[in-house]
Formats: sequence, C-alpha cells, structure tokens
Amino acid sequence: MSLLPGLARFGRFLGQIVWSTVSNPLPVGRALEEAHRIGVNSLPILLVVSVFVGTNLSVQGASAFSTIHAERYVGMFVALAGVREMAPIMVASMVAAKAGTEMASQIAVMRIQEQIDALEVMAIDPYWFLITPRLLGILLVLPALTMISIFTLVVSAYGVAITQLGLDGHTFLEQATATTHAMDLVYCAVKAFVFGLVICVLSCYHGFTSGAGASGVGRATNAAVVMAAVSCAILNYLLSELLFG
Amino acid sequence: MSPDRTSVSRTLVPDPVAIRIEELRKSFGDLVVLDGVSLDILQGKTTAILGPSGCGKSVLLKHIVGLLRPDSGHVWIDGIDMAIATPEEKLQVRKRFGMLFQHGALFEDLTAGENIAFPLRYHTRLTAAQRRARAQEVLELVEMPELHDRPTSALSGGQRKRVALARAIVLEPQVVLFDEPNSGLDPMTSTTIDDLILRMKERLGITFVVITHDIVQAVRISDWVGMLWQGRLVAYAPLPVFLHSEHPIVRRFLSRTL
Repeated sequence: MSLLPGLARFGRFLGQIVWSTVSNPLPVGRALEEAHRIGVNSLPILLVVSVFVGTNLSVQGASAFSTIHAERYVGMFVALAGVREMAPIMVASMVAAKAGTEMASQIAVMRIQEQIDALEVMAIDPYWFLITPRLLGILLVLPALTMISIFTLVVSAYGVAITQLGLDGHTFLEQATATTHAMDLVYCAVKAFVFGLVICVLSCYHGFTSGAGASGVGRATNAAVVMAAVSCAILNYLLSELLFG
Repeated sequence: MSPDRTSVSRTLVPDPVAIRIEELRKSFGDLVVLDGVSLDILQGKTTAILGPSGCGKSVLLKHIVGLLRPDSGHVWIDGIDMAIATPEEKLQVRKRFGMLFQHGALFEDLTAGENIAFPLRYHTRLTAAQRRARAQEVLELVEMPELHDRPTSALSGGQRKRVALARAIVLEPQVVLFDEPNSGLDPMTSTTIDDLILRMKERLGITFVVITHDIVQAVRISDWVGMLWQGRLVAYAPLPVFLHSEHPIVRRFLSRTL
C-alpha cells in the first residue's frame, strides 16, 4: 500500500469513527463492559510488571547514584522515570499487546467471516457497533490502569529501597514528592488517554482492513500491535516534551 | 458474446419491479467482474442468478445492498440509487432487506436465538422477553424450534443456514437475498432449504433473490432465472423460457458441461 492512498484510507476511517460515534446513541452499557473486560484482562500482568519495573528502578538508581554517593536521589529518580515515563508507556504496551491484539483479531475474523457485512445489511453501523464501545472502554480504563501502575511501581520501588538497599524511607518519599506533583498525575492521565485512542484506532483499523484467511488475520494483528507500540513510543516522547518539557 | 433473445427487456416485464439494475459495471484492478449488467427483479417473485464460480454473482448481490460501489451504473430500489446513496438512504433501504450470507455470518459468541433476536434489539422497541418469543417463532418457521439456546459454534452447516435464514426474515423484510444458500450442504439438507424458501414465499410473499450455481435449486424455487457469464448477464427470463433458451452458455450450463 503506497503512502498517500493509505493515509487517505486511514483518514476516511477516522472520519467514519467520529461520524458514527456522534450520530448514534452512546453505547454506555457496552462501553462499560469493554472497560471492565480490558481492565480485568490487563490488570494481573500489569501489576506483576509494575512491581518488577519499580524494584529495578530502585536497584539501578541506587547503583548509578552510589558512584557519586547520592543514593538519597533514588526517590527522585523513581518518581521522574517511573511516574512520568515508564508507567504510562508500560501500561500502553501491555494494553496494546493484550486488548489491542484482541480487538484487531476479533474484528479481522468478523471481516473475513462477512459478519461486518452482515451488520451493514442489518442496518447497524459497524463502526458504531464495533469501535465506539471499544474506544470509550479503553479511554475510560487506560488512565485508571496507569494510576494503578504508578502506585504499584512506587510502592515496590520504595519497598526494595528500604528493605534490600538499606536506604532511608523518609528521604526516598521526600525526594519523590519533591519532584512530582498532582499535575504530573494529570499529565500521565492525558498520556494514557492519547495512548488509548491510538491503540484502539490502530487496532480496529487493521482489523477492518484485514486480508483474507488466517494469514490475513495474523498480519492484521501483528501490524496492529507493532504500529500501536511504535506510535505510543513516539507520542510518549512528544507528549513528555509538551507536558513536562 | 451476444445476449440471448431471452435477455432482460424491461418492456416485457409486467409486474412491479422491486430492484432495477442498470448497466452495472465493476472492476477490481484489471479484472472486470461486472460488465454492463441490467435486469429488473420483480416484486413477490423468486429470481435466481445462475453462474459458475467467479462470474460475479456475489459481487452483484453486494451491489444490490450497497456493500460495494459500482464503477458505473445504477441499482434502483424504491427510488433510491444504491450506487450513489447516502449512508442514511442505504440504512433506509437495508431496513427492508434481509440477507443470508454464504457461510451464515452468524455471531459466534451468541446463541442461535440471540443471533436471530439481534436485529430486533436495534430496530424495534420489543422487550427482551418479546424478542425471545419472536426469535422462537421464527425458529419454528425454519423448523428448528429446539435451537434457541444452542451456541452458534455447536450448530451444523445446515442448522447455521436455517438460523441465518431466520435472522434474515425476523424483521419481516420485503426482499431477502441469498448468497449460495446450498453451498457446502448435502443434497437432503439442500432440498430442505429449498422447501423452506418455497414455503416462506407462499406464507410471507417476500421477494427472493438467490445467487447460486446449483441449477437444480434454481429450477425448484425460481420464477425468473438469469445467467451470469464472465461478468455479463447472457440470459434472463421466466423459468420455462430460460429452460428452453438456445444460448450456448445456458445450454452448456443446463447440461452441466461448464
């Protein structure tokens, strides 16, 4: 697919999502179901990863700062790197890997089994039926998951800092709270919101435009997760510059 | 290839027209799939479009419901040209249509009854209990009353077709389109599906359009038959006339030499 026609196609897809969402009733019940499903599916693995990212940040921070006898700044390092950067992108990657691939593969299978055509023939807008609830669901749940991840990451980093590394807990918390503020959490929620939008739109787009057969579904799913992860990584940098720069 | 003398001629058609197709052309890249197809589909009649695999039958059907946009030509339904219809106009037309897809296109995570009740949920104000009752009523019409609570994944090929047929007629459409209703079915199940179509036509007075490569089915259920060959409608006539067509492609198809 050459670039310009591909972009035009994606643009039409985006326009159709916006039109379908605003011109139909909001599927509140189905959006909450999606939010619940995405949250429940992603939470266990997210907690595990958050715990160990937090512990590693503490260990690596202590290792780096010990060379200049500045271990007291581990709390600041965890807050800056963990809260502002690691948690949002980590949650986005997890959700892209779990929920994004699920969205892409489900919609791709529906495409090749003519279920999307069937929706259209039944006079049910497939964009509204398939994408709007998923979009609302992920937009609701991703900021919440990010906050949970931040909390878990900081607690685990704190735990390792005082139990394994022998650092002073009070100093850790003092440094952490001195460098992060309530607005940082709001900015993290903004990042999560943007990442949710990107993951859902890209996953659904690749599902909708899937090729035929099992290989088509496989390619669509793969493209969805790769595009979502890369886009989130790039956006993470841009948003950090914009919000924290 | 010159069209047969039984080819469509609107002046010969006395009955009200449900769908008028004019000079429909569609290509995918260099591949010409429909090459100037014109025909009138009559209200209350069963029209079969015959043709070998890959001749453009399913593509024609998708143009009728506006799933595909033609390169040129028109598909007129109740004064709306589906070729250039707005999404709202397409919705308006589709609410009066039902379609049985080749493989059923049932939603796998729903039961048979939920699949049938699905359009009711979005196009009627029926309560859940009323939707269930209506789904059961339609299941009885397709002679599968026991399937209501069965998961779609547990249905056989013939059962899937019947459930899909039940879903297609649950809103009491004026037109029902069938894409290869007998594909993948054994001869006995195929005959049962044909009988169902005949009975529903009698009871409900629906216009049926059946895309098939099965000449036996076309003969059993159709009032009018068309023959698509390499993207062109080479013959279109009432069944008795079609069966006596002298067109070489029709003769070859009827004698199963294609």
